[in-house]
Amino acid sequence: MKLSDSGKKLLHTPEGLRDIYGEELKIKGNVTGKIRREMHLYGYEDIQTPTFEFFDVFSKEIGTTPSRELYKFFDKDGSTLALRPDFTPSCARCAAKYYMDEKEPIRFCYEGNAYTNTSSLQGKQRESTQMGVELIGDDSAFADAETIALLINSLQSTGLSDFRISVGNAGYFRGICENAGIDEETEFSLREFISGKNFFAAEKLLEESGAGMEVSRNLLGITELIGSQDALERAEEYADNEMSMAAVKRLRDVYEVLGQYGLEKFVSFDLSMLSKYNYYTGIIFKGFTYGVGDVIATGGRYDDLIGRFGKNSPAVGFMIPVDALLEAMRRQKIKVELPEKATVIKYNEEDYKKKLKKAQELRSEGKSVRMMPE
Amino acid sequence: MEKKYLTVALTKGRLADKTLDLFEKIGITVDEMKDKGTRKLIFTNEETGLRFFLAKGPDVPTYVEYGAADIGVVGSDIIMEEKRRVYEVLDLGFGKCRMCVCGPDKAGELLKHHEMIRVASKYPNIARDYFYNIKQQTVDIIKLNGSVELGPIVGLSDVIVDIVETGSTLKENGLKVLEEVCPLSARMIVNQVSMQMDTERISKLIFDIKEQLGK
Repeated sequence: MKLSDSGKKLLHTPEGLRDIYGEELKIKGNVTGKIRREMHLYGYEDIQTPTFEFFDVFSKEIGTTPSRELYKFFDKDGSTLALRPDFTPSCARCAAKYYMDEKEPIRFCYEGNAYTNTSSLQGKQRESTQMGVELIGDDSAFADAETIALLINSLQSTGLSDFRISVGNAGYFRGICENAGIDEETEFSLREFISGKNFFAAEKLLEESGAGMEVSRNLLGITELIGSQDALERAEEYADNEMSMAAVKRLRDVYEVLGQYGLEKFVSFDLSMLSKYNYYTGIIFKGFTYGVGDVIATGGRYDDLIGRFGKNSPAVGFMIPVDALLEAMRRQKIKVELPEKATVIKYNEEDYKKKLKKAQELRSEGKSVRMMPE
Repeated sequence: MEKKYLTVALTKGRLADKTLDLFEKIGITVDEMKDKGTRKLIFTNEETGLRFFLAKGPDVPTYVEYGAADIGVVGSDIIMEEKRRVYEVLDLGFGKCRMCVCGPDKAGELLKHHEMIRVASKYPNIARDYFYNIKQQTVDIIKLNGSVELGPIVGLSDVIVDIVETGSTLKENGLKVLEEVCPLSARMIVNQVSMQMDTERISKLIFDIKEQLGK
């Protein structure tokens, strides 16, 4: 093999990983800067956590990523480590570690890369940039509404205008299941079918499990509880227990607060939005826009998570997958202003001193200058 | 702003014909598509704002997942095999058949114990899921691209996992159904983003079809 051939082989990156440079990175920097500014305007404070942690931090009981999709490796002493698939478990760990006795709510915001070992040929990146917030220690509807409002403002700040935040509440489905005494295994499958809007599979499962007519009707009805406020009215009809009623009431309260922000027009409801894992305990929301098949935001309330690290504290938050957002912006041809191009100053050996002086003057005025030999 | 069409991806062949018949019954006609000689790839119905195109079965969920099509019609075998993130909203009731484990009579014995066997299939994911998670049997899966029935005949595999409609191909080749994996039929799938952004139009379409199917 010739040397040049072996050199060439090192040019491409592994599947699902890529370089970002030039204009694309400038756009990315601009967009993340705007989002971070919104987060700071709401009083959230930056936090950085390690890129990899003990596997247990992201394990099945805590995280939302299946363990076989985590990048795992061993430490010198044999303990298992994992690359973070998202930031929420780390933020929860930090809240418990540094703010154990804090009574006031804590507001974290973060930005960084996360890693999932997804299957090949699905066109998914294995390293992706995530930005998000966690509001810890406040279980009110105001807190729910604040995170949704901040998400809307963050998306608006990037220039996106045609998007929708779809909101559900995990308590609604859980209430009906608990009331009907449906076992955990059936509930798990049912959650998957209902969130996939797979009405007939859910119907078949309920038939097999011997659930009563009324329970089936209430549960299957969830797949159709999608739309504007009328969806909430219909949801109330199906709600046969306190927990589900409370879940609908919470959505109404959140909607009202969002009205005070003047942002309610971005919001719709979808009671069939459930997470596959029993992770969210209250509201769940996702951001959608044209141009990408993926969501541009996910979030919700997870009141049990921080308790796993020893601090009983409610929490709500969201995450923006920045790469999906940028893709949507590109497809929708949303303009992002780029920083001014650097002024080029040409020099030769004789006039270098003079040109350098000029360049330094411009730089001290805040202008970018690139020096080039003639 | 430009008009937004709802785009529907149909599986080439019989499934597409049946789907178009169904759409016709709810008042959506695409006459151009019936002309078999046409070389057009995409067909529009202006009054309802719908657009149709034909694709190979396994590609339909891909088009829908990425939002290149808002809606797709495809067999449930392909949905199970491809495992794409799409909403599976309707069982259209036609294209009924079964996913089965088939082989020569004597191979039935091999399925009763947890013995290691070789399985040939066009659907490696479905085969793996069935043997590993339901039967708890360790198997070697060989992916084939057609005429899977050959597998046991020429000794490539012990059994096959394939779609069975009437069973006549199996019979002619001395094979039979040994176990049923699951029943299959045509399904309507919807892109997750489209469902949220275009809820009204898509819900109405689903509702109309559901009503028609109930007749």
